Amino acid sequence: MVTYIARRLMQAVVVLLAVSTICFVIFRYMGDPVITMAGRYATLQEIEEVRRAFGLDQPMYVQYGRFIWNVLHGNFGKSYVTRVPALGLILERFPATFELASVAVVMAFCLGVGLGVLVSLKPYAFRNRLIMAGSLGGISIPTFLMGILLIMVFSVYLGILPPFGRGETVRVGFWRTGLLTIDGLKHLILPAATLAMYQLAVLLRLTRAGMREVMTEEYIKTAWAKGLSPRKVIFKHALRNVLIPVITITGLQFGELIAFAIITETIFQWPGMGNLLLSSFYENDQPVIVTYIMMAALIIITLNMIVDILYALINPKIRYG
Amino acid sequence: MKKLFLSLFAISLVTVFAMAGPVLAASALVVAQDTPPRMMNPHGDDSDAGLQYMANFFDGLLQRKGSGGTLEPALAVRWEHPDLLTWKFYLRKGVKFHNGNSFTAADVKFTFERLGDPEVSEFINTGKSIDSIDIIDDYTVAIKTKTPIPWFANNMHQIFIMDKESTESRDSGDVMVKPIGTGAYKLTEWVKGSYIRMEANEDYWEGAPPIKKVEIRPIRESSTRFAALVSGQVDIVTGVPVELYDKILKNPKLHVVSRPARRSIFLALGNKPGTPMADIRVRKAMYMAINENEIIEKIMRGHAAPAAQVPDPPTIGYNAGIKRLPYDPQAAKKLLKQAGYANGFDITLTGPNDRYVQDAKIAEAVARYLAKVGINAKLDVKPKSIFFPEVTSGKLEFYLIGWFDGTFDMGRTYFKLAHSRDEKIGFGKFNGTAYNNAALDKLLESTADMVDVQQRKKTLQQLNKMAMVDQIVWIPLHYQEDLYATQKGRGIQFQPRPDRWMVYKEIGFK
Repeated sequence: MVTYIARRLMQAVVVLLAVSTICFVIFRYMGDPVITMAGRYATLQEIEEVRRAFGLDQPMYVQYGRFIWNVLHGNFGKSYVTRVPALGLILERFPATFELASVAVVMAFCLGVGLGVLVSLKPYAFRNRLIMAGSLGGISIPTFLMGILLIMVFSVYLGILPPFGRGETVRVGFWRTGLLTIDGLKHLILPAATLAMYQLAVLLRLTRAGMREVMTEEYIKTAWAKGLSPRKVIFKHALRNVLIPVITITGLQFGELIAFAIITETIFQWPGMGNLLLSSFYENDQPVIVTYIMMAALIIITLNMIVDILYALINPKIRYG
Repeated sequence: MKKLFLSLFAISLVTVFAMAGPVLAASALVVAQDTPPRMMNPHGDDSDAGLQYMANFFDGLLQRKGSGGTLEPALAVRWEHPDLLTWKFYLRKGVKFHNGNSFTAADVKFTFERLGDPEVSEFINTGKSIDSIDIIDDYTVAIKTKTPIPWFANNMHQIFIMDKESTESRDSGDVMVKPIGTGAYKLTEWVKGSYIRMEANEDYWEGAPPIKKVEIRPIRESSTRFAALVSGQVDIVTGVPVELYDKILKNPKLHVVSRPARRSIFLALGNKPGTPMADIRVRKAMYMAINENEIIEKIMRGHAAPAAQVPDPPTIGYNAGIKRLPYDPQAAKKLLKQAGYANGFDITLTGPNDRYVQDAKIAEAVARYLAKVGINAKLDVKPKSIFFPEVTSGKLEFYLIGWFDGTFDMGRTYFKLAHSRDEKIGFGKFNGTAYNNAALDKLLESTADMVDVQQRKKTLQQLNKMAMVDQIVWIPLHYQEDLYATQKGRGIQFQPRPDRWMVYKEIGFK
């Protein structure tokens, strides 16, 4: 296990180096950030002065080397747009995204698994066919459309849920949470539902497929034959075995939800990291973009590793050498 | 598992029942803006989108008031221009910063010195143009510029005065997020990406503003901004997209406010020797090939006014005598034939796709009109962060751009847009096609130290005619229109400003 973790950590370092290099290569095609930093009426000479002041006159590999050196010292650089440390900007937005992604994952997991079990018991019932058709919609309707549809129905026509923002938030230490106020929860419902929709559909289909396979197994027949109650058979004997791949997928998707909730956050003006990333792209704020992408890579790598380890713990058949 | 389900169900029930309840507090104004502030450092962002936030927390030496945009005293009660290089400001007495410090000449000197520091300022150009700042007494300052700048005072509404003591003593990161100014509002809370809350400065030197609390919610996505307004979450929305205008108009609860914007949209032409556009007949043909009325009707949905020149009416240098060339594709074809391009030619039309109202669609339409007279315009639209550096590099052939000048003086604009490129002195920075005309340069340079307003007006008008009519440096398209929407029932008294700034001390409730 220790060698396994060590190997994964080494891979992580390589991945982080690779994504940062790719970022720097892409930046060369993203336009010149100095033009806006110097102001609209700056002369070309003044622009060059600003370029020197920020060390952007040096060749790309020197800039990259300096970036890596600073990162090793915990300094991700200052945003060109807001002129404050990039890492701080991102961490400030982390709680919003984390809460949104967590609620979305819980929603997707509970409903996905619940409906999946329900559907698998009577696959040909009309109601269950309807659910399956709906899940197909969940997979194929793009997020931005889903978000706008939900806003139209619940905010504009029915007027019962707020269309944007996080609502009233409370500070608990450094963490600004919206989970403790009614207003905050109200604001969370639509974006979380939008974000959960795709995952829900995937988990539902996964659970259903797993359940249908397991329900035909010999040991389930035995359980029925022993006269156990349906609840025990379904939840204790069948679902438990189905849940192993379901939990794995959920864990993997959680990382992606945190890192790339960009579309949902933009539509609902959710003050999270994805929103920040998008506006940083608009404004060509390169230090924030590269820091964000490295953070996202780190989160996904870490979560993948945790899932792998948990997998070994849940399923004794798996060993990492 | 079952417990989890139950608790989730309970939470959702509680939430649904808690829906009823007033969203808007009566005394507070809630505004949805299209652009969030970048920071609370008044010199770090020279865009109007950023300056408009600062105008509420800070004051300049002068200010632009109300819907007319007239230049009026603010922290300076009057100013003098004793010689070409010197600007003398007499400061207002008894003004206090939000932290209680008194406003004096030392703060003015500190502010203007700070402008030249690239770490904190985007007003480098203004900062570097200053030679010296003399404190004559606590309430008199004389600023000397390196070269004559006739429009220096016209820009003083954009330079916000900071408190020397607290700016120097605070950590630089704190200065970026907490504004300490003399303005009509004090910042109470800024949660990035969520809201900016401010409260009235009861000791404001102009008298306390009528609205006591303002909450600004920046929402970039226009359909979300629209939903926020329709669902009654906000009182005023800025930047209403033309596509949603009719929908808001039909809604009985909403009120639309529109005003002609200062910004004009135009196409920049080049005259590089050896290219087709070096021939003025070609430039004229391109002008006449474009059906601007149709662009306004179909693409802008009526929310634009045709322009015959780059500056707008209140600008010094606007020439009412300039008229648009008529739309006449037949005449355009004839002109092209005379110039020896009967079969047309290839050209690249560059433009931004995220900067102006319908920018990419306008560019597409222009390319189609040109195709009708045989000119094959290849479209190359891109994000503004890539487009503008290309303009400043001066290597474009033909592009779409928009402009308005905060100083209300065409001189500064023309030095950037029309003067031939000179990297040393910084002329022609936004002359992206490297247009070059010696006569125009000469006339423009003669205005550099022209301070007399009447003379200046006359010369700039002459210059404007030369560029727009005699030389056809640009093809003017239209002036944009700024669209806002408000809640009808709230009794909001709101008059949009020409510069699109939202200055809350100018807004009231009936």
